[in-house]
Amino acid sequence: MRQEATRFAAATGQGRPPGRAGWLLLAPLVLWALAFVVAPAAIMLIYSFARRGTLGGVVLGFTLESYQSVVDPVYLQIVTRSIGYAGLTTAICLAAGYPVAYLIGRAELRWRNLLLMAVMVPFWTSFLIRIYAWVTILKSEGLLNSLLVQLQLIAEPLELLYTPGAVVLGLVYTFLPFMILPIYTSVEKLDGALIEAALDLGAGPLRAFSRVIVPLTSPGIAAGVLLVFVPSLGIYAVNDILGGGRVDMIGNIIENQFKGNARNWPFGAALGTTLLVSFAVIYFYVNRRQRAALLR
Amino acid sequence: MIRIVSLLLAALLGLAAPLSATAEELNLFAWSEYIPQSVLDGFTKATGIEVNYETYASNEEMLAKLMSGAASYDLIQPSEYTIEAMVKEKLLLPLDHSKLPNLKNIGKEYYGLPHDPKLAYSVPYMQGTVGIVINTEKVKDPVTGYGDFFQQKYKGRLVVLDDALEIVTWGLASQGIGPDGVNKANLEKVRPVLVKWLPLVKVYDSDSPKTALLNGDVDLGMVWSGEAAILIQEQGKKFKYVLPKEGAHMFIDSLAIPKGAKNVAAAYKFIDYVLRPDVSRKISEEFPYTNPNLEARKLLTPEERANEASYPTGHPKLQTFRDIGPMAADVDKLFTDTKAKSGG
Repeated sequence: MRQEATRFAAATGQGRPPGRAGWLLLAPLVLWALAFVVAPAAIMLIYSFARRGTLGGVVLGFTLESYQSVVDPVYLQIVTRSIGYAGLTTAICLAAGYPVAYLIGRAELRWRNLLLMAVMVPFWTSFLIRIYAWVTILKSEGLLNSLLVQLQLIAEPLELLYTPGAVVLGLVYTFLPFMILPIYTSVEKLDGALIEAALDLGAGPLRAFSRVIVPLTSPGIAAGVLLVFVPSLGIYAVNDILGGGRVDMIGNIIENQFKGNARNWPFGAALGTTLLVSFAVIYFYVNRRQRAALLR
Repeated sequence: MIRIVSLLLAALLGLAAPLSATAEELNLFAWSEYIPQSVLDGFTKATGIEVNYETYASNEEMLAKLMSGAASYDLIQPSEYTIEAMVKEKLLLPLDHSKLPNLKNIGKEYYGLPHDPKLAYSVPYMQGTVGIVINTEKVKDPVTGYGDFFQQKYKGRLVVLDDALEIVTWGLASQGIGPDGVNKANLEKVRPVLVKWLPLVKVYDSDSPKTALLNGDVDLGMVWSGEAAILIQEQGKKFKYVLPKEGAHMFIDSLAIPKGAKNVAAAYKFIDYVLRPDVSRKISEEFPYTNPNLEARKLLTPEERANEASYPTGHPKLQTFRDIGPMAADVDKLFTDTKAKSGG
């Protein structure tokens, strides 16, 4: 199997370095990546080893002070909490998004586009406006509380806004489409015959799901998990607006080093570098497992 | 054909000529929501100078952008402690008062302050305080200072500024220490105070702290006086503004010309334009902070003058912030830590 795959790759030109024409075609992308990905990351890396300037900015040099601060318990507790929030958000998005993606992917073609559209419609409005809309819904004299009081389901308005629950709700709301779309593309390619075969060979629906459907849609799941987990770890607007700024996330801490009182650019850069490296490690790990699974 | 082309060329040249004539521009870098559009339009009408208004949300954001050198600005709007730091680092141009005839309108009390005693580098734009807003329908007991504000019975009913330096100086004030007493030993004294206070807070918001009060999500706030003044304007007797008796922060947002400004002449013109009583009065209308321009104050309505948040009566204890240098990182760390441990 593995040999066949390699032969296939060779035949399609995969794994071969591009020729001169290929490089020419690639040039815009390479330049773009150099200017907007590699250069900023390099600047961030250099800054993270520098010393703090008096008014912000950096004094270039080499010190590990900023990285020592990253593992300081004060900031480590925030890193841990951010991972917790991002993990919870990812889990809820996966649990809620998978069935939706599956349904859309297996739906009749004419419904499929309509349903996909419904998932994407929220993107037509600014993210911040949508988050502020949640303030109107959740505030103590807001839509939801008024409705519940009117229906006499509750006597006093519930405390909904400015709670950790509101933050998770906002994160799930924001990132759910990023889970649904990649899973949908995997589900769409799913070969129905394989599921039928599993059922014919005596697998129950649960077993068919866990042994056939999940492995076959795993590229979509992996992409969705990365697309939800990574940004929800760094985002801080949801947390400020719906959480009342009570829980700091890594994003808040980084912002503070540049735009807040701290004026500690090297520390902000060190936090950013740490996140970048962790993401890269996670990404390569997931990718390698994916490839290994595909070649098996 | 040639005639058509030459006609087109002439038309293009005709268009280009007035464009180059109005090319004079002022690059203004100032707080968001602080300079009314009508003032900018009025300036362009009076002088023919176009204003590019770019905004920031914190002094540190302004510094970051200014020092990155990515853009050059002719006029900035730093607050007092940032002015002190920028003067120390020689980042501001000294002002020639002979080019600012309207400077005479600024009240005497704005001279002699530690950050810029002679207004040699900065001209006060608006002054404000940080004080307590009380929803009098919900809170019946008197609240006169930090001690009354941060009480167990108000847990979950407070909004405060999301600002490390503000909150730490409130803690210092409660211990009888002024904002100039930011040092390692005093920060350790403040830690237990913050550990007690922060779990009581429901919302941290520096951008629009009035929102949580208006929405009824909280009943008490420690906010910018301008935000409080708007609440009082809109809701009359429902809200009350009190300056903490232990001492409150008085901030002075000023106009200043950064080193490297390209159009210094236009910057002077803008400062002097804003100092005109009729113009300054317009600013007060939209952003009801304390107007340092005494001539403009005379043009305010009796209601505006009676607004306790804009023009406090009595003799409140007010102090400006000083530049705290590298201690800023310690202040931030203390706040981050106590906030993270406050439960959230």
